Amino acid sequence: MSDTSNNYVNFFQAKKGIKSWIFTLDHKRIALLYLYAVMSFFLVGVLLGLLMRLELIAPGETIMKATMYNQTFTLHGVIMIFLFIIPSVPAIFGNFFLPIMIGTDDVAFPRLNLLSWWLYIAGATLALLTLVVGEGPADTGWTFYAPYSVQTGTNVTMAVMAAFILGFSSILTGLNFIVTIHRLRTPKMKWFNMPLFTWALYATSWIQLLATPVIGITLLMIVAERVFGVGLFDPAIGGDPILYQHLFWIYSHPAVYIMILPAMGIISEIIPTAAHRTIFGYKAIAISSLAIAFVGYFVWGHHMFTSGMSGPARIIFSILTFLVAIPSAIKVFNWTATLYKGSIEINTPLLYTLAFIFQFSVGGLTGLVVGALAADVHIHDTYFVVGHFHYVMFGGTGFAMFGALHYWFPKIWGKMYNTLVAKVGFTILFIGFNVLYFPMFVLGLLGMPRRYYDYLPEFTLWNQVSTVGSWILATGLIIVIINLINAYRKGAKAPVNPWGGVTLEWQVKSPPPLHNFDRMPIVSEDGPYDFSEEYKQKIKQA
Amino acid sequence: MKENEIQHITSFREHFSTYVSLVILTIMTVAVSVFGADLLSLTVLTAMAIATTKAVVVGYYFMHLKYDPMIYRLLVGIVMLLFVVFMILTIFDYVFR
Repeated sequence: MSDTSNNYVNFFQAKKGIKSWIFTLDHKRIALLYLYAVMSFFLVGVLLGLLMRLELIAPGETIMKATMYNQTFTLHGVIMIFLFIIPSVPAIFGNFFLPIMIGTDDVAFPRLNLLSWWLYIAGATLALLTLVVGEGPADTGWTFYAPYSVQTGTNVTMAVMAAFILGFSSILTGLNFIVTIHRLRTPKMKWFNMPLFTWALYATSWIQLLATPVIGITLLMIVAERVFGVGLFDPAIGGDPILYQHLFWIYSHPAVYIMILPAMGIISEIIPTAAHRTIFGYKAIAISSLAIAFVGYFVWGHHMFTSGMSGPARIIFSILTFLVAIPSAIKVFNWTATLYKGSIEINTPLLYTLAFIFQFSVGGLTGLVVGALAADVHIHDTYFVVGHFHYVMFGGTGFAMFGALHYWFPKIWGKMYNTLVAKVGFTILFIGFNVLYFPMFVLGLLGMPRRYYDYLPEFTLWNQVSTVGSWILATGLIIVIINLINAYRKGAKAPVNPWGGVTLEWQVKSPPPLHNFDRMPIVSEDGPYDFSEEYKQKIKQA
Repeated sequence: MKENEIQHITSFREHFSTYVSLVILTIMTVAVSVFGADLLSLTVLTAMAIATTKAVVVGYYFMHLKYDPMIYRLLVGIVMLLFVVFMILTIFDYVFR
């Protein structure tokens, strides 16, 4: 990070000291603040997951009691959802690359951006405080379902307030990105000149802005019920628990798209670069991001098929759910079509991308199984659902995030990692992931319910396979992370454009200068993925 | 200077009329709910209709949507449409349960 040979000051060198980081207004530094915080919480979440798998290696009590298991999976869920997946891609890579990709020097509201990070830290601190005060962390599951969440003595109020504050952080990031994209694009960049990662962030930001307030209010209603005894969700005092589920999922289903859409944006960046050709169906992919965001608002009821919701409502939500598959499939088809006859370079980011396509397809198609009303009645609340969402969230977003980290690492730090170790780490991670989560589909179909620390003896074999998978996955993670840390400390200097990308971030130096661009960026009129020699010559000459 | 960046000065008369109309609509809401205008199942619908009208008035006049380009009006329209769909889908559960 100390490359001064090109006689420019990069954003690492601009200022020194802890204050220059925690009070920075530079979008790139804020992105890295998010990266370090989010990855730390991710590792805590992974550790909790490993402990849960260890408990499940044999029937009966193994390493923890039932209540502690309930608290562990709740904290695992809260950390992974609110502290890792939701902020991961938008807050880290969105913050770092959105302004650069649209040719501007920062987001529209830099102070608001910093406030978002501080709110994130405040929310995270509150979530972790539940560990050490009162009756310990909530034992409700990350969904905080009423009426149990109203009645339990564990730290639900504090956990709910943590989620409330984290929601504000998410709203402010979304607001910032929407205004940035509308107002700060470099003059020659029209809407359909924007990279697809930017389109994905735009769609995501609308969900953050419009859906998150619903969960904010809902969580406050739980606090009102717990503290003041207002009868909102508890039937014993005149409330309706299904109303809670409606309000919760009105946010939390669109939130799934906050998690997956930016990841899809990453895939749309890596594939054309690795295939060295323009992306197939640019407009279809861009509009499908908006379509997923829009249709995603209307499908929340599929989480409630067995909750006592009315028959007609269940049928309507099941039909609407199938609509989401259309824009998702459009993306998958276009990504694979882009690879067809491309000059493919099998680099580490592409490996993560291919794993994403495979695992997201498994997760997406099993999503249709749970979205089908008749099938869901049988497999609801079984391990099948756990397998499904981990394939989408970790197999999809998690792998895309690691793909992005390997893709943009040389740009962010100006250094290159050991590619052989990165590929070995990826392979072990990929194997570990599938050994860990695929058995859950089998267990679910066999009828094993989720969220129990104990199970019947006939489920033992597949649980043991899954637990061994968690150890393989952890090994892969350790290799990947150590390799990146080594590259950060003593990696070789990376070229400005190691993968041959054509979006604007590859026109700036590595690490980027403080204000991103020394001159007006050159935007191709033929779209953001213009791999023509003519465009490359233009950039060289500039 | 772009069309939406042109300065506009709203007359006192327009601001005051907007304010008065909002006060009248608020009085109507209170009349429906508190003073026993017994509209039975139409009570909720009436209250929602009045609230929607107020939101439109605030957005159009006070928040200056009337001066903004069509894209912003469209975006606000989509947001309101989303809210309406939320309500309809949730009511579908309650009516048929």
